Amino acid sequence: MSIIGDVIESTKAIIKGMSVTFAKIPQQKWTVQYPEEPVTVQPRYRGMHLLHVDELGREKCVACYLCAAACPSDCIYIVAADDPRAPTERTGVDERYASVYNIDYGRCIFCGFCVEACPKDAITHGYNFELSVYNRADLLKTKDDLLITKQKQSLNYRVAFADEDVDSEYKEV
Amino acid sequence: MPAELIKVTINGQEFETDKGARLIDVCREKGFAIPSFCYYADLALQASCRMCLVRIEKMPKLQTSCTITCTDGMIVTTESEEIEKAQRGMVEFLLANHPLDCPVCDRGGECELQEMVFDWGGLEERFTEKKNYAPEKFLSPIVANDPQRCILCKRCTRVCDEWMGEDAIEAGGRGSHTVIGTYGGWLNCSQCGNCIEVCPTGTLLDATYRHQTRPWELSRTISTCTFCSDGCQLSVGSRGGEVMRVVARDRYVNGLNGEFLCIKGRFAHPFVNHEERLRTPLIRYKKGGKLIPATWDEAIRYTAAKLRAVLDAHGGESVGVVGSPRLTNEANYALLKFAREVVGTNNYTATEAFSLVPFFENLGAPLATHKDIRHAKTILLIGGEPEELQPLTGRQIRQAVRNGGAKLVIINSVPIRLKHAASQFIQIRPGTEDAAVLALASKDDAGVAARKLNVEAGALEQVRQHLNDAQGDVIVMFGGELGAEAQSLLAQLSFTFGEKEGRRFLLHPLPLFNNSLGVHDLGLMGGALNPLEILDAAGAQLRAMYVAGSFLRTHLEGREDALSKLDFLVVQELFQTATTEHADVVFPAASFAEVDGTYTNNDGFVQRVRQSIPPIHQSKPDWMITAMLADALGTDFGFQMSSSAVFLELAKQIPAYEGLRYPLLKDESNPVQARHALVGQRDVSAQLVELRSLVEGIEETGETTTQTPPVGHELFKLGTLTSKVPQFHLLAAGNPEPESVLISPLYQITIDPALRDEAAVAGD
Repeated sequence: MSIIGDVIESTKAIIKGMSVTFAKIPQQKWTVQYPEEPVTVQPRYRGMHLLHVDELGREKCVACYLCAAACPSDCIYIVAADDPRAPTERTGVDERYASVYNIDYGRCIFCGFCVEACPKDAITHGYNFELSVYNRADLLKTKDDLLITKQKQSLNYRVAFADEDVDSEYKEV
Repeated sequence: MPAELIKVTINGQEFETDKGARLIDVCREKGFAIPSFCYYADLALQASCRMCLVRIEKMPKLQTSCTITCTDGMIVTTESEEIEKAQRGMVEFLLANHPLDCPVCDRGGECELQEMVFDWGGLEERFTEKKNYAPEKFLSPIVANDPQRCILCKRCTRVCDEWMGEDAIEAGGRGSHTVIGTYGGWLNCSQCGNCIEVCPTGTLLDATYRHQTRPWELSRTISTCTFCSDGCQLSVGSRGGEVMRVVARDRYVNGLNGEFLCIKGRFAHPFVNHEERLRTPLIRYKKGGKLIPATWDEAIRYTAAKLRAVLDAHGGESVGVVGSPRLTNEANYALLKFAREVVGTNNYTATEAFSLVPFFENLGAPLATHKDIRHAKTILLIGGEPEELQPLTGRQIRQAVRNGGAKLVIINSVPIRLKHAASQFIQIRPGTEDAAVLALASKDDAGVAARKLNVEAGALEQVRQHLNDAQGDVIVMFGGELGAEAQSLLAQLSFTFGEKEGRRFLLHPLPLFNNSLGVHDLGLMGGALNPLEILDAAGAQLRAMYVAGSFLRTHLEGREDALSKLDFLVVQELFQTATTEHADVVFPAASFAEVDGTYTNNDGFVQRVRQSIPPIHQSKPDWMITAMLADALGTDFGFQMSSSAVFLELAKQIPAYEGLRYPLLKDESNPVQARHALVGQRDVSAQLVELRSLVEGIEETGETTTQTPPVGHELFKLGTLTSKVPQFHLLAAGNPEPESVLISPLYQITIDPALRDEAAVAGD
């Protein structure tokens, strides 16, 4: 093929490609300006776990080990203990509570089985998703990291309203 | 007598079965699953759960198969729509008052009710009324009770009555308000915990394991109990290197004891992970100095050098080696080998409470197994107190009397609790047990014996007559009170009464420790000195001593400073004890939960001990320490650091254990009995003469007590191991009732330390 033919062909290709680019410029942008702007997450998003407390501030967890039993990646470790104090002074809602509750985020696959298994609604998925650390040992989160009263919520997310259309483009498919 | 065979049709299939068999057992045996709560083999029938309903032709209603005996031509249906409807209805009724608090219930995961609901429960609960509420409470320091969860199967009350003979828990109240309770609100029993074991729900719970973990989190190891000589099989539940609980639940372990365990077997395990366990080898470099932690290399090197110095200066006979009936056969064999091959001494023994050597030398009849005891027709018990010291034997005796119609004859100086089951109880003067044996062995001496025993001559004649006329198995048991001559005569008792068709004599010694028979079988008790003599020889003939375990309190009484006279004392122990006080080197030994090995129980069964957790801190198994020490002294034992290699060599050396290997001991439901040599009839007239003169020398002064000793007077004693369990301190102090039963008494009562020392008199 001649040189002129090459030039014409490649110019055609550029025009074709750029026409797509220019056509998209006026349309709505999907890129999120993270971390300058907060990410919008679905209400049912599965982020870092939260251990809940009741209205008196007592931990809801009764250390029944069902979450640990349901966990497919075996990342939950619990030590149950007995709390003989009066009901209002207790750490947990029941005499039985978890003195240790660890989740190893190096292994967690965020499947949500633990949340489904929990008979006391004590564990749910929160929205914190920034879990990267410099040290692998830091992936092990303890009760101090997981309790809803102690876990610091990131400013980098906002939860979508129930009727908000967050990712309609996928629904069209 | 072979049972008559009859034909039974179950679900259209015809089967042959023994006449008189129970229908539920036959159905289950033939592979038809029948649910039940209240039915429990060998317990009285209850028929209250109504889960085992079947349709039997020509009977008007559904029948409970647990109460029906099979008859010829019976046609049974176990599965139909009608039966399922009835069973589903029953489960719905059971759940009507059940709180469904499975997440906090310790039984969750191994609960029979939970399993039954999976199979027979409905999806929805139609019962919407208020449930009966009752708070969870404590019945004793080790039994927790949640009355709401009870389904009133009454297994616990029947077990308490029939196995333990205590009747400590009973059902009270009526109808839906019936609850399991105690007399007076606080449980003053032997605290065996068998009610906890058989409970199908979480009504009765182990308060020591309460709210600790979950059954599926535990790794289970089948092992042998490390307390008395009955050798109960148990399942050790451990998690992360910690022993959490011990159970005998038949879904985990199926040993000679069934689901039976006593308080020590079930609840005295926390010594394993106790913080006072020795962590490293300790060396006392200067007499009177402190024990200083050292490395293993240093401790072994130091010990070997010191022992070598004593051996060079005074010869092999100056070193004493002391084994322990608490340790495995492997550990004791290694010690024996150490004494014979490395040191070259005959001065070895074991810290056993009493010797059975004369008994085994004259053994004229086989040893009785616990199964034999259960089906025996006549049981003679001389001395001893099996209910407190060998609880499983105690239960088997009670079952034999209650369910088997056995005749029990007790000769004892104390009116022990078992007396209530006895058909004849002869109370004798304390310390005259030998005279009772004399009266049995020789008719002519009955008069003298009766005078010394302070009983009527007719009573002893009656016992003789009874043994003479007996049919079936005759089991002769004896405790530690008998002297050497009496033991020999008793071992030959079957020849005294001669042979008779349909009668078999069996012998059952009642030693105190888990491996008492093992140390006798190995020959460790056949050394030149006994434990008391070896202590007396310390400082004189003996310059150094190597002790595994500790001397008993009874040994050290009056000989407290004996050990301090030694030039060099090596001890391997779990804890600091009276024996380690004078030790120059202390090695941290591994407990029964951390080693592999075997124990020999009082049936002669050689049973496996299995490692359930790795050795705590730096401890090592006893045989390994001995082998390391031998190695440092220049002898390679060839054990290759494996307990099975030790046992292999042991089985080659000890005739009674010939041919035994670990794989043959694998199945705990078929334990292997050591082959103790039966000597046949021996001339025991010399012993008879000796015993006669001994009996004649007994003073007729001893006061007899009419008071039955309280429950647990031996069981709750605080020893080295049991004193590591806080609950035992409460029990030893008389099991005081706390102010509130809703909270564990451990949190409410502080035990006066003086009281604790007072209670600590046992030497184990």
